[in-house]
Amino acid sequence: MSVFSLPRALSIARKEVRHVRRDPFTLAMAVGVPVLLVVFFGYVLDFDVRDIRLAVVDRDRTPASRALADAFTASGHFRPHGPPDVPAARLLEEGRVKAALFIEPGFGADVDRAVPARAQIVIDGADNQTAGVIAGYLDGVATVAARRLGADPPGDLLRTRFLFNNELNSRWFVVTGLFVVVMGVLSILMTALTVAREWETGSMELLLATPVRPLEMILGKLAPYLGLCLAGTGLIYAAARVLFHVPFRGGLLFFVASTVLFLCCTLAQGLLISVLTRQQQLAMQFSNLTGLLPVLLLSGFTFPVESMPAFFRVLTWFLPARHYMELCRGIILKGAGPLALARPVLWLAALAAGLITLASVKFKRDLEP
Amino acid sequence: MNPTLVGFIRKEFRQALRDKRMRVVIFVIPVVQMTLFGLALSNEVKNIRLSVQAPPGDRLMSDLRDAALGSGWFLPAPTEGDPVRLLETGQADAVLIAPGGGATRARDRGEGRAQLLIDGTNALRARAIDNYVHVLLRRVSAEDVRAPPVIFDVRTLYNPTMATAVYLVPGVMGLILGLITILLTSMSLAREREMGTLETLLAAPVARWEIFVGKTLPFVLLGLADVPLLVGFARVVFGVPVRGPLWALALNAGAFVVTMVAVGTLISTFAKNQQQAMMGGFLFLFPAIQLSGVMAPVENFPLWAKPMAWLNPIQYFVSLNRQIMLRGAVGPLFWMEWSALCALGAVVAFWAAARLNRNAA
Repeated sequence: MSVFSLPRALSIARKEVRHVRRDPFTLAMAVGVPVLLVVFFGYVLDFDVRDIRLAVVDRDRTPASRALADAFTASGHFRPHGPPDVPAARLLEEGRVKAALFIEPGFGADVDRAVPARAQIVIDGADNQTAGVIAGYLDGVATVAARRLGADPPGDLLRTRFLFNNELNSRWFVVTGLFVVVMGVLSILMTALTVAREWETGSMELLLATPVRPLEMILGKLAPYLGLCLAGTGLIYAAARVLFHVPFRGGLLFFVASTVLFLCCTLAQGLLISVLTRQQQLAMQFSNLTGLLPVLLLSGFTFPVESMPAFFRVLTWFLPARHYMELCRGIILKGAGPLALARPVLWLAALAAGLITLASVKFKRDLEP
Repeated sequence: MNPTLVGFIRKEFRQALRDKRMRVVIFVIPVVQMTLFGLALSNEVKNIRLSVQAPPGDRLMSDLRDAALGSGWFLPAPTEGDPVRLLETGQADAVLIAPGGGATRARDRGEGRAQLLIDGTNALRARAIDNYVHVLLRRVSAEDVRAPPVIFDVRTLYNPTMATAVYLVPGVMGLILGLITILLTSMSLAREREMGTLETLLAAPVARWEIFVGKTLPFVLLGLADVPLLVGFARVVFGVPVRGPLWALALNAGAFVVTMVAVGTLISTFAKNQQQAMMGGFLFLFPAIQLSGVMAPVENFPLWAKPMAWLNPIQYFVSLNRQIMLRGAVGPLFWMEWSALCALGAVVAFWAAARLNRNAA
């Protein structure tokens, strides 16, 4: 008997399609929900830090000190906040302001004598990301302040150009990331229960009595969900282009091919979990635990992979979503071709082959106890 | 104590802890995940691959490159090749191109400019890179020996080293705790319904409220058992301080776990089978995690989305947890958010109980 026969795999696929057709809930989860999630959070999530609430404590009360405080507002990043009768320390402690500016008496006098004038900035460091951004803005504020105080700021030797995203629009970054994350998690959940359910309801016994082989079983179960998820991807693609005007700079065929590779990985991961646990409750817990948080946090969606310690960067190589994230942003935002992105493509192909083989092998062991 | 409830607790504990894999899910995975994320995640902008393209003998540019590599934020990238291509393939995050004749000459003559090309796909990272390079250039450029007219003394409160883990771990704790409790609860009732044992339970001589409390209380206890584990790990492994009182931590965790178990129960009353319960769990968890303030700051949400954050138990837990652990502040804000969390929990619990009652009737 051959290891793989296409007709047998197709019969399994046909059976699976019937399951899905009977269950409109699954259909909605695969096609409708992803696009809703991407659109909704595409509008909601915003990683830019602006309108930072700043408490201003001006004990100098000179034109110079007022000019400094104005420089913060003029920079566009800060907004003065807080009633003047509440101590700034309390505002910081309660989280009502993110930073406080203290200008001590003598600031104006120092400016008049043209010696460096000092002011103190206290930043709420609990949120280290915002704190880092605030510290980064200070340089620009100092330049604005110097100009307002009549000193001539140093000339700029450097001109910066941002490629692929001239206006530094973080929405495109968020939408492409969301797309990867939503499809990544949902596709794992899609297949996670399919084998476990057959064991629990006993229909697996029936399937085992037929001549179907493990690889046919795995591929037959995978194919219909691949179709469903691709339909979901198509909808997201349309929404991203129409609603968010995400530029699509790369080749469509290359994008579709890498999407298929990625979905094979995650759907096979779900099948593997299902084959291993044979119990729906456990299958769901393992797929949520290995799917949701790792995909959200380790794929490079918001926390850059480049900033991870070396050990964890190596670990993320085994996460399909991490490679697909690189591919998506490379193809969609940069217009990179297959040659530039050969590494993530090869990784995805290897992971897909590995996961499908593993699921088939584990399945076979169950057949011959 | 009510013997029926004791029986329920015993049964659920046995069912949940019987399987070794379940024990791993409840007690080992949360700690492993928190450790993993705490160690791995960093929102600092690091390991920037910088390619400096300058003619040989350009002092200013080579000084800048040395300063960049010495700062620990940058990694070297190939100095040859088409800059756009380097950025496109991801071999470089930024390319610094000296003007013809070199940047040193351009500075001395006051004409010509160096160009800095940055991969702008990640806006936050791009802005930080731009900032770093400007600061470095100012440092190495001899022109700027004179002191700037305004100097800021910067002091950072609560997290002076600006370590990511200290900020992130209290938040990730909320994600993990929420995930575990929802997963445990949402499927347990759906399972009884699918197996048909719910019918037996309803026919048994126990009151409806006993079924409700009996099915939920064990999961509250299991969820709470994870709390000291997670807090202990956060302290020992990541050195996250616990500046506030422990009772505040307990109050917060208690209200949160009860609310999440109620949410899980509510989801399971809507589900016909375990698969729907699982998808329902995802439909709740995914938005709740996105809106929790761990992925992106809540203040940045558009106005119309903010009310959704107010209905999110995870958001309250994360905010309260950060207040207690990092700021040590148990003030009006703490009580306000805690009351909101409790009110949310009460509403969901009543809703779930009412639905369970109606389903049973």
